Parts: sequence; C-alpha cells; structure tokens
Amino acid sequence: MSEQILEQEQDQSSQALDRGEARCPDEPTTQEIIARDKVTAPGWVCSESYQFLGDEDISTERYYDPEFAKKEYDNMWSRTWQFACREEHIPEPGDYYVYDLGRYSFIITRVAENDIRAYYNACLHRGTKLRASGTEGCTSEFKCPFHGWTWNLDGSLQQAVCDWDFPHVKAEEFSLPEARVETLAGFVFINMDKDAPTLEDYMGPEFMAHIKAWGLENRYINCHVSKKIPANWKLTMEAFMEAYHVIETHPQVAVSNGDANSQYDTYGEHVNRFISPLGVLSPHLKGQHTEQDILDQFTVGDSSFLEGADRKLGEGETARQRMADMMRSMFEQAANADLSHVSDSELLDCFSYTLFPNTFLFPGISLPMVYRFRPDPKDHRMTIYEVFFLRPVPKDGERPEPAEMVELDEFQSFTEAEGMDPGFGAILDQDTENLILQQQGIEASAKPGLTLGNYQEIRVRHFEMAIDKYVSGQ
Amino acid sequence: MSDVITSDAKVEAGEFTRFCPVADVPAGGKKAAKINGTWVLVCNTKDRLFAVSNICSHQVKPLLPGRMRNCAITCPVHGAKFSLETGEALNLPATKPIDTYEVRVVDDWIEVKI
Repeated sequence: MSEQILEQEQDQSSQALDRGEARCPDEPTTQEIIARDKVTAPGWVCSESYQFLGDEDISTERYYDPEFAKKEYDNMWSRTWQFACREEHIPEPGDYYVYDLGRYSFIITRVAENDIRAYYNACLHRGTKLRASGTEGCTSEFKCPFHGWTWNLDGSLQQAVCDWDFPHVKAEEFSLPEARVETLAGFVFINMDKDAPTLEDYMGPEFMAHIKAWGLENRYINCHVSKKIPANWKLTMEAFMEAYHVIETHPQVAVSNGDANSQYDTYGEHVNRFISPLGVLSPHLKGQHTEQDILDQFTVGDSSFLEGADRKLGEGETARQRMADMMRSMFEQAANADLSHVSDSELLDCFSYTLFPNTFLFPGISLPMVYRFRPDPKDHRMTIYEVFFLRPVPKDGERPEPAEMVELDEFQSFTEAEGMDPGFGAILDQDTENLILQQQGIEASAKPGLTLGNYQEIRVRHFEMAIDKYVSGQ
Repeated sequence: MSDVITSDAKVEAGEFTRFCPVADVPAGGKKAAKINGTWVLVCNTKDRLFAVSNICSHQVKPLLPGRMRNCAITCPVHGAKFSLETGEALNLPATKPIDTYEVRVVDDWIEVKI
C-alpha cells in the first residue's frame, strides 16, 4: 500500500513539472554522458542554457506566403549579419567573391591586408552587375562590362567614360555603396543595416566565448556542395535543428546516437545549439542492442577516416570510449596534429549551432560542417542549401585552396557530390525527401500552425521568434 | 617572372613548337606568348601544364593577369572564368569557350601544338 502511494506521488511530481522542464525519462542526460568520458570536455561543452519560450503553434503562412517573404527581405535580411564568404576565398588584395541574397548582390573584396569591403554589386551608371553572381576572382579595378565605368578597389570612382557628358556626376558622390563587414574565426560577415549592433553584440557574449575556443580560422574548405531544396528556407533550416527526427528519418544512425536525450540551448536572440551525443544507443532502442552493435553501426561525417580500424570491443569496453580513442588516433594522423588535449566529446559528438538568420556551424571534429540556407531569388518556396566541410589546415603544409563549389540540381542525390562521404550524403537525402513532403503538406493542411515539443524543438521556436521580431519591424 | 610575355616564335601550323623552358613556368605560374600570330597562355597548376588562348572570349582582353584556381582562370577585367582543361566558359559575362591546345615537355622545353 505504501509503495502504491509512493508511486502515485512520483507520478504527481512528474506531472507537476513546469512546462519545458521534462526530459527523456530514465535516460542519462547529454551532460551525464559527457561527464563519464576519459578526456574531460571544456566549459563551452559542459554548460546548459535552456529556457521555456511558450508552447503556442507556429503559424504556417510564413512558409508559403509571398507577402511574408517580401517582409523578410525588407525587414530581416536587410538588418541581420550574414556569412558571405570565408577569408580564404579572398586571401590577397584584389581578390573578390560575389555573395547574393535574393535580389541583393555584393562584391566582397580585400582592398588591403586587413581591409575587406562589401560593395553593392551594381554599376552606378545604368545598373549592370559589375561581377556576375556566383563568381570570384582577382582584379585591380571593377569595370562595368556595359559602358566601361570603372571603380578602384577602394570603391572610389576611377572613370566615367566620356565624362564630358556627365558634368552632373561628382566623383565624390559616386563611390560604390557599401554594406558593413566584420570578420570572425575566418568567416566574413556582412550587414546592410548601418545601425545594426556590432557582430560581437549581435552574437552575444556566450557564443563569442564558444567560437573563440574553436579555432575555425585554422580550417579550410575541403568540400563545398550546393543543392536546391523545394521547400521554404526556414523550413529547410528547421529540419536540421533537432535530433527528434533521427529515429524515424535516419534509422541507420539511431543505433549510435543519443537522439531523445540530446541537449538544446538558446543564447540571446540570434544563437542556439544542440549537442547530440554519439557512440551511445538511442533511448528509443533501449535493450535492443549491445555495445558492439553501437560500435559496428557508428557512422561519421567522413567514414574513410576509420577504414581498417580495429572495431572489436573488449570485455567491459564501451562503444563511445572506443570511438573517441579511434577518432583521436585517426584524426591525429590525418591532420598531423596533437589532439591529446581535445576532449572525447569534441571528437565524437554532433554540435550544431544556428547563427541567425541562415548559418549553421558544427565545430566538432568528426562532423566539421557549415550550412548556409538562402531563399531562391525566383521562388520563396525553394531553398539554396550549401554544405561546407571545414578541415584543419595541415600543420606542416600550406593552406590548401578552398574547394570549388559542386552544384547539384534539384533531383540529384547528395551522394553524387565529389568529396562528400556517401553515408553522410544519404542522411541529407533523407532530410530532403521529408522537406518536399513537408512543404507540400503545410500548403495542403487544414491546420494553420505547427505544434512543437517544448524541449527538443526549442531551437525551431527560438528561430521563429527572431523571424517574427524582425519581420514585424521591431 | 612567370607572367612575363615572350616574343613571337615561328612555327609550322599543326606541329608542336617550343614555347619556353619548363623552368619559366613553375607550379602556380603562367606565361603568355604569340605563336604564329596566336596568343597562347601556358599555366602550371594542380601538377599539370595547360595551354589555352590568352584572349578572353568576352571582350578580347588578355587572361594572363587573371587568377588561377582549381584548374580555371578568371579574366581580371570583367570576371569571366574558363576551364583550363576544356576552355569552357564557366560563368558570365562570357558565354563562349576559349581555344585549348595540346602541350608537352621535351628536353626541358614546354611545347605547344597550335
């Protein structure tokens, strides 16, 4: 009798949890998993920053309404910091890289060693783009291909051809207009809003402390793939914001992924993350697999690193620890670097950060990606999705040239992209298949809102709250 | 050094002709010269030599000062990019290819077939 009362009390106490406080029951948390590791994780890994942000539905017209897309261009894209290119794209003065966002286009150019500018990519005479979209190169001036008006690298007007015919053109008023530029960890960010906060204030102190610990400036683009996804850019981003979908969408990964007990955090208005522990069994599959199964089915961003490795576990060994040890040794060899101080968690786990509005950073070692999502300029229900793999610059070698972008068409598989691990490409294909149906389903639905989990889908809510704030003009 | 333009070489059409000593075009280098009235650009990148027309198909500007990266050269004037392997125009404002030529090394000389 007394046991029954105790059970009842426990039930009531779990029901009494405040909204957002529930976690995957009877499973170790991400922090508990990481705390058992042999090589201790740094502070940026061992911290939590979850906050309940409401449980109302997210209205769905944002994913298909052209008026909403227009408001995004007018009020959001024009006021936020965006990753335009990497510094490695423009290493020398005169190097330039064209970054487009919808109808907007910018020439990102290095004017001098520590002077990077972002010019609006349009001739001030009759508007022709000074450089074609999607291009990069090196030049000593920007000459319009139409009538030859020319600007110096520093944006000042060099020549208006037949200037006798343009007495009303004053050189001092005809410098190329600029967006703001800041660099961080090898990334070049731009912002069209002259009154926007600095990049540091925009990202916030927690994230700034995290990114400074990662050394991403010492990585290079080893692989760059682009593909059009037939879904709104926000919907496409949200497909990558939670591990909740892993058990259904990526069953091949679930055996070695702590999906339901992944950790979710938000930082200020513009940054959120998850930590998804790898080398542990999904709580959904509890009791169905051995540690050896977990090790056998472990997949990483580039599985070629593990070819030929000993995958037989000894008595009492855990898959997670063996994976960490294997990865340390493999990546030390591959990168010719000493990784003895790098924690097991950093080697193994999936760290996924969103930088509002459209960039994901994955600072881990095994999954070193950057994602960028942009609306297709001609169709707001279509996304230009890019995946970059950032590998460490070889310790004793020169910095390799950044990989050329491989452009897949809408119907090609990610597994066809040169340089991409086929196992990873298959995961992205599974996400793409969902997105096609999700965009169509949202437009077909009788229900005008998305319903979100309080914890596992907090990044989606956090992201959409920022969208709402900007779109409403706040 | 590798960007220096050399003088005309005389040659019969359809035959390999000496272009310059191989040492004149080190890795990452390029050199332009006129062979029988044709401007040829030789590039050394990705452990290979390539020979293409030195003239941009967009607005007939020399490609020699352009940036070479990932087996392509970009015209510095308006930004047209060409594959060094096939001559294909890879982006606007060019839409037409540039010529490519066979290239070989014989006795430490780069030879090009026009």
